[in-house]
Amino acid sequence: MEKLVGQRLKRKEDPKLITGNGTYVDDIKLQGMLHASVLRSPHPHAKIVSIDTTKAEDLEGVVKIYTGKDLEGKINPVPSSWLVPGANLIETKQYPLAIGTVRYVGDGVAFIVAKDRYIARDALNLIDVEYETLPSIANQKDARKEDAPQIFEEVKNNVAFTYIAGEVLDDDIEKEEVVVRESYNSQRVAPSPMETRNSLGYFNPGDGELKLYVGSQNPHIHRMVLSEVLDFPEHKLQVIVPDMGGGFGGKIGVYPDEALVAYATMDLETPVKWVEERNEHFQSANGGRDMMVDVELAGTKDGYMKALRVVNHANVGAYLATFGPGNPTIDFGLMMSGSYKIPKAQVTTYGMYTNTMSVDSYRGAGKPESTYMLERAVDEYARQIGMDPVEVRRKNFPDKDEFPFTNAQGLVYDSGDYQKPLDVALETADYEALRKEQAKLRKEGRYIGIGLASYVELSGFGPSAVAGAIGFQGGIWENSTVRVHPGGTVTVFTGTSPHGQGHDTTFTQIVADKLGIPYEDINFVFNDTKSVSMGWGTYGSRSLPVGGTAIAMACDKVIDKAMKVAVHLLEADADDVAFEKGIFYTKGNPENKKTFQEIAKAANFAWSMPEGIEPGLEEKMFYDPENFTYPFGTHLVVVEVDVETGEIEILRFIAVTDAGELINPLVVEGQVLGAIAQGVGQALWEEIQYNSKGQLLSGSFMDYTMPKARFFPKIEMKFTHTASPVNQLKAKGVAESGTTGSIASTVNAVIDALTPFDVSNIETPLTPERVWRAIQKGAKN
Amino acid sequence: MEINYAYKFKGLSSKELWDVIQDPDVLKEVLPGCKKFEKVGDEQYEAIMGINMGPIKGEFTADVEQVDKNEPESYRLLVKAKGKPGEINADAKMTFIGDDEGTELTCVAAIEVTGLMATIGQRMVGGVAKTILKRFMKDIEKEAKNA
Amino acid sequence: MSNNLVEVTVTINGERRSATVEPRTLLIHFIRDYLGITGSHIGCDTSQCGNCSLLVNGRAAKSCTLLAVHVDGAEIITVEGIGKVDNLHPIQQGFWEEHGLQCGYCTPGAMMASIELLHQNPNPTDKEIREGLDGLICRCTGYEFIVNAVRRASEIMADQNSSKEEV
Repeated sequence: MEKLVGQRLKRKEDPKLITGNGTYVDDIKLQGMLHASVLRSPHPHAKIVSIDTTKAEDLEGVVKIYTGKDLEGKINPVPSSWLVPGANLIETKQYPLAIGTVRYVGDGVAFIVAKDRYIARDALNLIDVEYETLPSIANQKDARKEDAPQIFEEVKNNVAFTYIAGEVLDDDIEKEEVVVRESYNSQRVAPSPMETRNSLGYFNPGDGELKLYVGSQNPHIHRMVLSEVLDFPEHKLQVIVPDMGGGFGGKIGVYPDEALVAYATMDLETPVKWVEERNEHFQSANGGRDMMVDVELAGTKDGYMKALRVVNHANVGAYLATFGPGNPTIDFGLMMSGSYKIPKAQVTTYGMYTNTMSVDSYRGAGKPESTYMLERAVDEYARQIGMDPVEVRRKNFPDKDEFPFTNAQGLVYDSGDYQKPLDVALETADYEALRKEQAKLRKEGRYIGIGLASYVELSGFGPSAVAGAIGFQGGIWENSTVRVHPGGTVTVFTGTSPHGQGHDTTFTQIVADKLGIPYEDINFVFNDTKSVSMGWGTYGSRSLPVGGTAIAMACDKVIDKAMKVAVHLLEADADDVAFEKGIFYTKGNPENKKTFQEIAKAANFAWSMPEGIEPGLEEKMFYDPENFTYPFGTHLVVVEVDVETGEIEILRFIAVTDAGELINPLVVEGQVLGAIAQGVGQALWEEIQYNSKGQLLSGSFMDYTMPKARFFPKIEMKFTHTASPVNQLKAKGVAESGTTGSIASTVNAVIDALTPFDVSNIETPLTPERVWRAIQKGAKN
Repeated sequence: MEINYAYKFKGLSSKELWDVIQDPDVLKEVLPGCKKFEKVGDEQYEAIMGINMGPIKGEFTADVEQVDKNEPESYRLLVKAKGKPGEINADAKMTFIGDDEGTELTCVAAIEVTGLMATIGQRMVGGVAKTILKRFMKDIEKEAKNA
Repeated sequence: MSNNLVEVTVTINGERRSATVEPRTLLIHFIRDYLGITGSHIGCDTSQCGNCSLLVNGRAAKSCTLLAVHVDGAEIITVEGIGKVDNLHPIQQGFWEEHGLQCGYCTPGAMMASIELLHQNPNPTDKEIREGLDGLICRCTGYEFIVNAVRRASEIMADQNSSKEEV
C-alpha cells in the first residue's frame, strides 16, 4: 500500500459539499422551531431610559420578548477566557442583553422570539426604546486621554490592561547610530466568514438536556463558557457544530446571542433558532486587529539591529472578547522581534476600552500585526542606512545551526533556516533583474515596487503549563480516541473543529499510513461535545501540530496493543513480530501473519487475549506538546502604482512557506492562498469604519471591500521543509502564515514603488485616495 | 460629514427669499414628504417627514430650531430627526448673498447619522441630502415666485 | 398577514413544487424554508456575495434579492439539480479535483455562477474567469483554486462534447 502522507489527495469532505448535502446550522429544522432576532443599539453609548415592547408583543406570531432587565439575575455575564496576568486587567461585565447602558452600536437591547424569521424582524421595528445618548469614543489613543469619555466608571482612562514584555531603556535606543521612529496602524477588519453567526437550541424538559447547534471554532470552549453563563451543568449541555461556513477567528468568541438562544430555548421549552444578517454581523461579531503602534528600532550603520521598543494601543472594544486580551499582548508582544536576532525588545500594550464592538482573534492573531510593524520598520531602517532590504534581513537572521533559537522575549523557536525561503523567493523573482527593470521603468515614468517580508509565526499552542502562565483560561493540549471496529474499520474522535481546513482528509492520510488500512476505512467524529472527550478547537494553526499529533500517537497506542494481540495469536516472541503496511508477521517467516483487520476482530471478540490485556481495540491519547511550532517564510511582492490615480496593481506575488513536513500539499496550498488573500485584503482594501464617536459606517459588503477574484494575479507558491523537532509528524501549523507575511510584503512593495516621491508611510488599507494623497504630499517636499 | 450646497435664486432679493423660507406654511409645502410642520416655541418647530431613498427610508420625527438669526443674511438651522432607520443630527448654516441677478443661498451642514442608515446607507447620505436640498430649493423658488 | 398569502409554483430541479407564502418572501427563503432544498446559502443579503446564486430559466440569478412571486412558473435549478455524488456535473468535478472549496458555504453559488460563465464562454482564459467571478465572494480560497476548478470544468466539458461528436 502506497504511503499517503505527502500526497496531494482530493478532499474526502467535498462530495457532500459540492452536491448540496452539507448541513449548516440554518439548514436544520426542528419540530416547533421558533425564530429569534436581536434589537441592537443604534448608539455607541447611551442610557436606556425606557423600552416599550407592547406594540411588538401585540404582533401576531410574536411569542416572547426579553429585555436586559427581564434577564437580570437569571443569566450571567459573558466572560473573557484570556485573563493576561500581571497586566492590571479589569474585566467588566458584559450581560447578554444590556442592562441600563449600551456601549457600542450593536449592543443587544431586546431578544425577540417569533413564529417565523420575518415576524421576528417585523417586531424589531415595533419596539420603542428611549435612549439618552452619552459621550462616546472610538479611537483607542484618544480614549486614554485625561478628558476622554469614560466607558465604565470602574475603568480609569478606559485602560483595560497594561502589559509590558521585556525592557529597553532610553539609552539602549539613543546610543545606537540609527534610530527609526514611526507609527504603524493595523486597522480593524472583519473576519467575515461567509456564513454569519447562528445558533439553534433544543431542550428536552424530560431529561433536562440542552442541545445547542452553533457556529463555533471550539465547541468545548463554548460548552464550558456557556455552562457558566447559563449556570447549567456541562454534562447536560451538548454543543454541536455541524458544517460551518468559515471562522477565521470570528467564531472563536462565545457571544451573548448564543447564550440568549440557549436561555429562550429552555424558558419556552421549544427549539429556537437565530441566524444573523450580514449587517448585524458587522455590528456585533468580533472585529480583528485594531492596533495603533509606535515603533522605535535602533541599530548600527552597517545593518545590525540592536534594540526594538514598541508601544501598542490596542482597541479591545466595549467588552473583552473570549481571546481578546491575548492577541495584542502575548501573541503580538512576544513575537515582536520576528525572525531577527535583535538582542533587546520591549513591548508595552495598552488594552483600551472604546465604544466599538469587541476585538478578538483574526487569522494570525497578533503576528500579522507585529510582522507588519517590524517588517515596515526594517525596510525603513534599510532605507536610512542605504542598504538593500535583502541584505539587512540576511544580516540579522539567526543562523540555521543556532536553533532552537531564543528570541528577545524568551520564546524558543523550535527549528528554522530563514535564509532558505529568502533565497528561493529572490531566485524565483530574479531579484537583481527586477531591480534593474524597476530602475529602467522609473525613467519611463512607470513605478513598480518590490516588497519583501520575512516572517516567523507561532503556531500550535502548547504546552498547557504555558497556557496557565499566560492566563489562557483552558488547556492547549489535544485529545484523540481511535476506535477500531470488529471489521477493522476505524472511527477517530478528536477535539479540533474543522470548518474547511480539510482535517478529514489530512488526518485520514496520517491514520491510513499508521495503521496500514484503506483510506475509505477511516472516518472522524469532530465538533460534538457529547461524543468527543474534552478538546480545545481550531485556531492558532494548532489542528495539525497538536491535534494531528494526538491522532498519530493514539494510533501508535493502538498498534502497541494490536501487536500484543498479534504476538499472542502468532504464538511468537515479541521481538520476532513486525508490523508493516497493515500486516503483523513473524520476521523469520513472513507467511506467518495476521492482518490488522484480523487483529481488530480478535481483539473485539476477545476469545483469546494475552494475559492481562483488556478486550477491545480502542486507544485514547491526550497530547500536551512540549513547545509551540514556528513556521516561517518570505513573501516577495511586485506591484505597479499608477501615480496619477493612486491605483495599485499586483504584478507578482511570490510566497515561500516553510511549515516543516506537509501531509497534504494541496490542502496546504489552499490554506496559504486563502490566507494571502486575507492579508492583501487588509493591506489594500478592507477596513471597518467607525466615526470618531463610534458610529459604525461600514455595515455591508457594499461599504466593506472584500477581496475578489480579479484583484489577484496567480500566486507563485514555493515551499522549503525544515522539520519541527516538537512532534513526530515533523509538521508546523500553516493556516495563518500566508496572512502574516502578506500585509507587510504588499505594503513594502507599494512604499518601495513610491521611493522617488519620498513617501515613507501610508496607513492601511492603501486605497487609491490615500496613495494619491501621499504622492501629492511627497511630491511637494 | 459635511455638505456644502449652493443655489441661485434669480430675481429674488435676500429679503424676499428670507421671508419665504421662514414661513412655516411654505416649509410644510416644500419639505419632502412633510406631514407636519408646526411651531412649538420661539424659533422651534416640530415636523414629521417621510424619506424614501434606497436604504434611507421611513418616517422621521424632527425637532427643528433656528438660531443665530441675522436677517436677511444668515441663520443656523438645527435639526434632530428620529426614525426607525436611525437618527439624523444636522447643524446647517444658511447664508444669503444678494447681487443684481438675485440671491445665492448657501447651505453648509454638518450631518451625523446613526443606526441602519449609518451602517449601510452612509455612502448615500451625502447624495440623498443634496437631492433633498435641490428639490427643496427649487420648490422654494416656485413658492416665492407664486407669492 | 395571513389573509394576504399567494401560491407560488416553480419547477425546481425538474420537479413541480408549490407553496403558499407571503408576497414579500424572498426566493432564497422560499426554496430553503418552504421547499426544504437547502444547498443554496445566504451570505450577505445585499447581492454582493453570490452565495445564493442559482439558475432561473437557465440564467444565473442571486436569489436573495428576488421575490418568490417574481419567479412564479419559472424553471429553477439549484446545486442539488446539477449532479449527484455518483454522477457529478463537470463543474462539481472541477471544484473537487482542483480543491476549489474549503468550508463549502459559497460553493453551490460559485458553481452555479460558473455554469453560466462557461455557458457564455466555454473556453475562458484565467483572466476571463476571474472577471466572470466578480459576483462571488469567497473568504476561504483566495479564488485561485476556484479559477483552476472552472478551467478544469471547461476541459471536462470540452472532452465530453468531443466524445459526443465522435459517437
